[in-house]
Amino acid sequence: MNDPLGLVNHILNKSFVDGPGNRAVIFMQGCNFRCLYCHNPYTIQYCNACGLCVETCPQHALTLGKDKIFWNEDICLECDECIRTCPSSSSPRTHSYTPEALWEQISHIGPFITGVSVSGGEPSLQVAFLAQFFQLVKENSTLTTLIETNGFAGPQAYTAMLPWLDMAMLDLKCSHPRKHEKLTGQPLDSVLESMRFFAAQGKLQQVQQVIVPGFTDSVEDMQRTAKLLAGVDPEIRLRLLRFRPHGANGPSAEWQSPTDEHMDTLVETARGCGLKEVERSL
Amino acid sequence: MEKRRLPEPFMEFEDLRQGLTAEMVTPFKQHVSDLLHAHDLIYEQKRDALAAAAVGSLPYPPISAAARELLQSGVLCVLGEGAAPYHPRYVAPDYARILHEGSPFLELKPAQTLFDATTSLLTAYKYFPAGGLPVFIGRLDELLEPYIDTVSPETARQVLKSFWLLVDRLNPSGFVHADLGPAASKTGALLLDVDRELGTITNLTLRYDPQHTPQEFALQAISNALGVTKPYFLNHPAMAADWGEDYVIASCYNALPLKGGIYTLVRLNLKRAAEMADDDPERFLDETLPEIGKNWTEVIASRARYIIEDVRWFEDNFWIEEGLLDKHKFSAYAGVFGLAEAVNHFTRTDAHPEASYGHDKAANRLAERITTRIHEVLEDNPVASCEGTDGKACYHAQVGITSDLDTTPATRVPSGEEPELYEHILTEAPTHKWINGGISTILEFDQTAAQNPAAVLDIIQGAFKAGIRNLSIGSANSEFVRVTGYLIRRADLEAHKAEKALRYSSAALGSGVMENHPNHLHRIPRKV
Ligand code: SF4
Ligand code: SF4
Repeated sequence: MNDPLGLVNHILNKSFVDGPGNRAVIFMQGCNFRCLYCHNPYTIQYCNACGLCVETCPQHALTLGKDKIFWNEDICLECDECIRTCPSSSSPRTHSYTPEALWEQISHIGPFITGVSVSGGEPSLQVAFLAQFFQLVKENSTLTTLIETNGFAGPQAYTAMLPWLDMAMLDLKCSHPRKHEKLTGQPLDSVLESMRFFAAQGKLQQVQQVIVPGFTDSVEDMQRTAKLLAGVDPEIRLRLLRFRPHGANGPSAEWQSPTDEHMDTLVETARGCGLKEVERSL
Repeated sequence: MEKRRLPEPFMEFEDLRQGLTAEMVTPFKQHVSDLLHAHDLIYEQKRDALAAAAVGSLPYPPISAAARELLQSGVLCVLGEGAAPYHPRYVAPDYARILHEGSPFLELKPAQTLFDATTSLLTAYKYFPAGGLPVFIGRLDELLEPYIDTVSPETARQVLKSFWLLVDRLNPSGFVHADLGPAASKTGALLLDVDRELGTITNLTLRYDPQHTPQEFALQAISNALGVTKPYFLNHPAMAADWGEDYVIASCYNALPLKGGIYTLVRLNLKRAAEMADDDPERFLDETLPEIGKNWTEVIASRARYIIEDVRWFEDNFWIEEGLLDKHKFSAYAGVFGLAEAVNHFTRTDAHPEASYGHDKAANRLAERITTRIHEVLEDNPVASCEGTDGKACYHAQVGITSDLDTTPATRVPSGEEPELYEHILTEAPTHKWINGGISTILEFDQTAAQNPAAVLDIIQGAFKAGIRNLSIGSANSEFVRVTGYLIRRADLEAHKAEKALRYSSAALGSGVMENHPNHLHRIPRKV
């Protein structure tokens, strides 16, 4: 059987905000949510090689092959004209890796990091690839593995990688079923199942939530979220991330960022509902 | 209004053999008079500058014509020591002995309590026998831990806070240096705590050993470093492999044997040296450096001899008589700076302007070859008086002074030109390999680091695995800036610009460096 290929949007060699310690982060291409405030819509779809972006590239860094786009990274200016052009929420600037090739790349920076996080997009769309990649990481190093996921794929999606997975960071977009569906385009149920599943495995490193006006920013919203989590386990760590309109798309670019005071109020609210560890981004 | 030129703290005379000559008497008097009248120097600073001027008026200890030429052309320099050295540049007294046995000369009894111990230390600092300032004030956690439980925990904190305040107020300089670690201790944690609270510029090093420094202590030190730009993180296993356990870090980041000293620091300006070899790096490595090496070590030997035989520094000296310092543990620094410019001199061409240190494999490789070659040259030119380092001059990376206009400190990539973080570390790490007498790489982080100090620890550990010996960790928006090796507060920089007198003599020095190298305020912070 051939190794599955992973489609990667980009790799960060260092991150202080994607799990414990300093981590490499691999952003996978493709997502099963359509969040209203998505900051990276070009990670949502796989490229279908329509070729539209090729013409717009000022550097002639893109060429259309038989059924794929070739991207000349060396001359690319990262001007993003291609992703603005793409009608399909995709990007021609992705890389395919075998699990070995990806590990080979990450292993070089191994001495500087504590672990590897996979994010996206939504990494659970490429679980077969990730299971093999994580296995390589665990068999060849002391690095820890972490998946940052929206949980929608449901518990069964994660079972193959479980032996090689140290931690999961679950992105709970919203704890209200109807609002969740409005915000992401998908129902909430399987997200919660995944969260319970990771918690039961002792692998739920953190739940995080973006504080978005109208969806997650009211005290009632936070009480519901915090009670839900505390009901699973009061030890679950909750991190609140402030919505930022900069880089958001469509109408959400007009939404307001919550203030420091309001973020602090929500942290207190969550603590008041029994969660022991609640923090927020700057 | 035109900015008034501050008198230089000491004077160099044209002819090194003669020192002050009849023709120079008038300018010399003018220099002395300028010092007396300087408004932005306080009394102590004037007094020190006057003493330096007096020493500067003497002839240099005898050296060959070739060595003299290198000194006069600035390829070599003795960095503010003055022509005739009358004391070692740095010493590292065995303060533990004073605490355990007392000191007859200082009329101190063995310390019984934390009060006794801190009082004895402050007394000893006052009599520090080198350089006008106690550039090494002890491995403080080790020294004070035996006394920490002689008082209540609240009192212990109060005593350490007063002690730390006095260390700064009585010895106001960024070159005053204390060591901590590798083990954690109550004293170590308390000192980090009061250091953060007081915000003084006394220098600190944590001798970090992943095997023996508990994570919690290391994280406390990192949080401090992100706030107040200290302590330094020293790769203790790498240092101990060369020095054994009994070494200390003094002044900026200078390593020397405990109970030992450093007679002199003679600097080699690598940029100037490189220019002597035209465009030929092989000639530089094979001919220029070995040639310079002979004169370099000759100058070192002659200065050490002057201290030992002319001034007879070791005689009638209570530090020696009481066993607080040991003549056999003394050495001298052969310091280098301007490696970046030396490398770029050979690798950067009109066709390849980007082929520079930090950004080009061949350039980085040349940097490694140069630092290795200098090690060999120092091995080939023994200096008998450097007993503390096996009869060879101790290899040191020097951080630079105000007048170094066109050179980068030590072996660093120039501020503002730093490559990506890991690349930066991997560029400078090979240059740390042989330089065990003091060297450091500076990393500045953005504010997200404060929320995740463990991530900074990962990078420190990675850097140490890569061979880095010492790291200065800081955050880009801190009030405390690592100028070159010592710290300066931004507020002092402003005050110096406004020609106000400053308590810290090192701040005046630092301000000069900053005026000439504003890039030190524009290091590339690591966004994460
Ligand atoms: S970002 Fe896209 S459009 Fe811009 S240069 Fe690169 S490939 Fe071309
Ligand atoms: S990136 Fe988008 S525009 Fe470019 S070829 Fe793929 S689908 Fe078409």
